[in-house]
Amino acid sequence: MEFHETEEQQALRGAVGKLGRSFGHEYFVETAKSGGKSTALWQMAGKYGFLGVNLAEEYGGGGAGVYELQIVAEELAAAGCPLLMLVVSPAICGSIIQTFGGKEQRERWLRSIISGESIMSFAITEPDAGSNSHNLATTATRDGGDYVLRGTKYYISGVDEADAILVVTRTGTDHAGRGQLSLIVVPTDAPGLSKTVIPVEMTAPEKQFTLFFDDVRVPTENLIGTEGDGLRQLFQGLNPERIMGAAVGNGIARYALEKAADYARVRQVWGVPIGTHQGVAHPLAHARINVDLARLMTQRAAWLHDERDPLAGEAANMAKFAAAEAGIAALDQAIQTHGGNGLSTEYGLATLWGPMRLMRTAPISREMILNYVARHSLGLPSSY
Amino acid sequence: MNVVVCVKQIPDPANPGKLTSETHTIVRDGKLILDDSDAYGVEMALQLVDAAGGGEVTLVSMAPHSETSGLRTALAMGAAKAILVSDDALAGSDALSTAKVLAAAIKRAEPDLVIAATESTDGYTGTTPVQVAEVLGWPSISFAKKVAVADGTVKVDRQTETGYDSVEVSLPALVTVTAGVVEPRYPSFKGIMAAKGKPVEELKVTDLGLEPGQVGAAGARQEVVSVEPAEARKAGEIVVDEGDGYEKIVAFLEQIKVI
Repeated sequence: MEFHETEEQQALRGAVGKLGRSFGHEYFVETAKSGGKSTALWQMAGKYGFLGVNLAEEYGGGGAGVYELQIVAEELAAAGCPLLMLVVSPAICGSIIQTFGGKEQRERWLRSIISGESIMSFAITEPDAGSNSHNLATTATRDGGDYVLRGTKYYISGVDEADAILVVTRTGTDHAGRGQLSLIVVPTDAPGLSKTVIPVEMTAPEKQFTLFFDDVRVPTENLIGTEGDGLRQLFQGLNPERIMGAAVGNGIARYALEKAADYARVRQVWGVPIGTHQGVAHPLAHARINVDLARLMTQRAAWLHDERDPLAGEAANMAKFAAAEAGIAALDQAIQTHGGNGLSTEYGLATLWGPMRLMRTAPISREMILNYVARHSLGLPSSY
Repeated sequence: MNVVVCVKQIPDPANPGKLTSETHTIVRDGKLILDDSDAYGVEMALQLVDAAGGGEVTLVSMAPHSETSGLRTALAMGAAKAILVSDDALAGSDALSTAKVLAAAIKRAEPDLVIAATESTDGYTGTTPVQVAEVLGWPSISFAKKVAVADGTVKVDRQTETGYDSVEVSLPALVTVTAGVVEPRYPSFKGIMAAKGKPVEELKVTDLGLEPGQVGAAGARQEVVSVEPAEARKAGEIVVDEGDGYEKIVAFLEQIKVI
């Protein structure tokens, strides 16, 4: 068993961290508040091969794994730039298309996801289905050489910066009444697709959307993998999604604790730095321990996924849970350490509250993970 | 065109540096990293080789404990190979013995041009590169803010206090570059993976035709006798503007004789 990263993984951390710091949290905040997009940073990350580290070299990727991709997400977040679309475009969509897409589909979509020239969104959540994927109501019906999509999706991230969306649809119903799912790529400019922004209280360049599919036609060539096999295919993308969510949270937590420690070493109130007082030092030390534990679980989950070990699902869920809880506590303590400054824009902590708090809710809620662990890891009966 | 870049691997400046108590030399026990100021030289060399349409960039470094971490960073940026001189006999080397070692290693690569930073971020003597040029018997130009090579010559804009000088010398030559001569690239992921397989030739002092007594503490002509901590910077003076702030500023500027 080995617990140290290779020289190449360490070098990747160093290079991504440098790139992230050259933009920094101020760039992230200014971009978000001005309604801009983090395109400049995204394209630089693509140019240096950081976006596609986990994808095939044949299409311009790095040929490594989700372990390396979570390094990219963590280091950018630790530099104050948590890029949520990393969770979606290369992790979910990239993983699924690489595994189940045909050669032409990979050529068409993977290459530009890797280079950063285009971004792919992912649409699964629906107003009436929530986390129950069997109940998805968006349908795709074959009509000649096309699929025709009808339905509604919501809380779909970054549609305005994406060229296409990987949409989870229902193409049939099994004997138990459960949806047979299929994954279909829909261009964001397809006629009949309308997008409405959902206003959210979160400082981030990525916006959230409600999507209405009103007889949206796409050619059947846009089906990824096998019709009706979507649920199984999804898992190739959903474990990376949880691992990447955890990595973004771990990065934000590191960023917050570094700022808190810097402040506590310098800020003096009664003649000594406030970090001298155990009332300040111990909560930060406690937060640091939990963040390191969450990072360890995230790294283990990524390693298991890359090894194609079936234990990856359980580990990815646990990592996402642990990273959200540890990160929220770390950021909260960092804000507390800063006194009134903790809520200022200048100190760049409260600006991360939205993206950090999001991790307890998305991509899967804390409660759904507890349900999963209760049922799968402890063998307890299911309530649903 | 073949270019050698002298790169120094130094203790991470993010951690507080330490000096040995007897010899007052920098402690280099931990992992060493590429001196940031050398990233400019590596980038300049890569661009010159690109512009020449052929050739390669070779790194030359002297470091203890067979350290290659910093070299891997520069190889990941795109350098083709590295020569590392690592030998216990080199401990305590002064600038001149370092220059002798580097010059001997550079000769093996037979470059058209040698590039170095103006000074290292840990030692700050700023004398090693020109001593290398002297040992090699080649012309040198320091403080380059722009470098171009054509027809067997190197043309340099050399930074001065008031502007820059245009200097031209024939190759082979040595040029030291300032931070800002070019914007260094980051190592790409492909570069990082490729660096793993690039050759690093490790040499001892005797491989270079030098005697251990000529280098290291034994051969040093310079000795650090004592070290004083830098004086803490005095607190600045705060001027409260009560409508006469501009007068106080003018008086201050007159006092330090800038107006």
